[in-house]
Amino acid sequence: MQMEKRAIPDDLFYDSNDFWIKVDQEAVIGLTDYGQSNIGDIIYLEFVAAGTVVRQGDRCGSIESGKWVGSLLAPVSGVIVETNREAEADPHKVNADPFGRGWLYRMEPANRNEITLLMNSSAYKAWIEERIRLKEKDDVTL
Amino acid sequence: MRQVWRLLDTGELPAANNMTLEQAILTARSRNFIPNTLHFLQFSPHCALVGYHQAVELEVEEEYCREHGIDINRRISGGGSIYMDEGQLGWEIFALKDTPGIPKRLEDMYRLMCESVVTGLAKLGIDARYRPLNDIEVGGRKISGTGGTEMGNSLLYHGTLLTDFDADTMIACLKLPLKKLEDKQIRSFKERVTCLREALGHVPPMPDIKKAMAEGFAEVLRVDLEPGGLTEYEGTLMVEELPKFQSEEWIRGPRASQESNLSAADYKTPGGLIRVSLRIDPLRQRIKSVFITGDFFAYPERSILDLEAALKNSSSRPTDVLATVRNFFTSNDVKIPGVAADDFYHALRLAISAHRRSESNGREGDAIQ
Repeated sequence: MQMEKRAIPDDLFYDSNDFWIKVDQEAVIGLTDYGQSNIGDIIYLEFVAAGTVVRQGDRCGSIESGKWVGSLLAPVSGVIVETNREAEADPHKVNADPFGRGWLYRMEPANRNEITLLMNSSAYKAWIEERIRLKEKDDVTL
Repeated sequence: MRQVWRLLDTGELPAANNMTLEQAILTARSRNFIPNTLHFLQFSPHCALVGYHQAVELEVEEEYCREHGIDINRRISGGGSIYMDEGQLGWEIFALKDTPGIPKRLEDMYRLMCESVVTGLAKLGIDARYRPLNDIEVGGRKISGTGGTEMGNSLLYHGTLLTDFDADTMIACLKLPLKKLEDKQIRSFKERVTCLREALGHVPPMPDIKKAMAEGFAEVLRVDLEPGGLTEYEGTLMVEELPKFQSEEWIRGPRASQESNLSAADYKTPGGLIRVSLRIDPLRQRIKSVFITGDFFAYPERSILDLEAALKNSSSRPTDVLATVRNFFTSNDVKIPGVAADDFYHALRLAISAHRRSESNGREGDAIQ
């Protein structure tokens, strides 16, 4: 199976749960193009309230597709300062424009060192390819 | 060597207790306090359960439920509203995500779990099959729906098995896409689901059903099942968490804004009339559920039920509806004399636009062409 052409912008960091993070004064977090394609048609999104303090890996929302409720896990620790209400009302935005109008939330990172330990675009691309290889193995053993 | 999983049967419990139990077992599994588990559960009193993200007021006829002693609660898993009475069996798998043999791709995992149920039903003499994405059906009629969720390194995948079925109560307590339809169409709606009583002519004793189901899971998942009870940890969590799952905040807590509106339309074709009735969430632009009837002849008969399943929770944007309908007819060998694939698209479009027109008039839609 070849990796379908999925956007992986160079100016972002990535975590192993398919979230991207754009760092400026604050950090913007979203689901990657590969992540949204894997999840499929997103029906519901729900976030914890702005002001919530989360640690890296904490659940800060939920996402539903195909009768499956998954977790939005924080790629870094910090305080959620804003959630994307438009995407919450119309989750299709995450499928259609994951790096743009489909962003998920903004946060104030608590520890910038955590960000430096995330993947850059080439490491994330390699991570995706490894998972595709494992899925092919699944296909063979099923 | 085959893995040994726990076989847990907690019998009949109220909805809030069962919802708490699911959370407790999933937590215990994710903390590695218990082995992977197949759990059987039943509900008493009967209840209406909404999916995790759904709003009770949009999915459940609350007054009817109050008058008839039907509990209302919210699942921790996804999917739509369901009605559970004592005649239905709940089954669920709690497992580590990286359990050997459980596919990592969700769609493959759904198929494997549903194939376990299909194998169990075969042991009862029922020829069932998996219907993507999450259903199990007998001759096109749904007998088990499924859904799931996750916590950290663990997953919960569960479903219902209709053993006997009180369709009238289900229709009365859930907001389905057929409140405005006449008796003939309500009969047709009932024909979309089946149960063990209908498929076999009788309901086997519950222990026999559970045994067949357990054997189906053991065979397909290639595990051994060992009967066991709740651990002390799960029992303590149950007690601690029960008030949350009994609370109004959990059951009716604020959800992301959404709507659920009923709309209907008739569309004439050379092959007959297509009648579409649907529930739509205009904010999310979603067809929540759809019911298609008419006086056309479809072969195979089940194809219209499969089309309904393909449209459920799909986008209501016109280009997406067209793509869904065309894709369905391209991938399935369906023959409907005098009715083209695009006729279904036009009928659906009419129903969707009927909703928009009625919204501006402040009433539910009903377009007849």
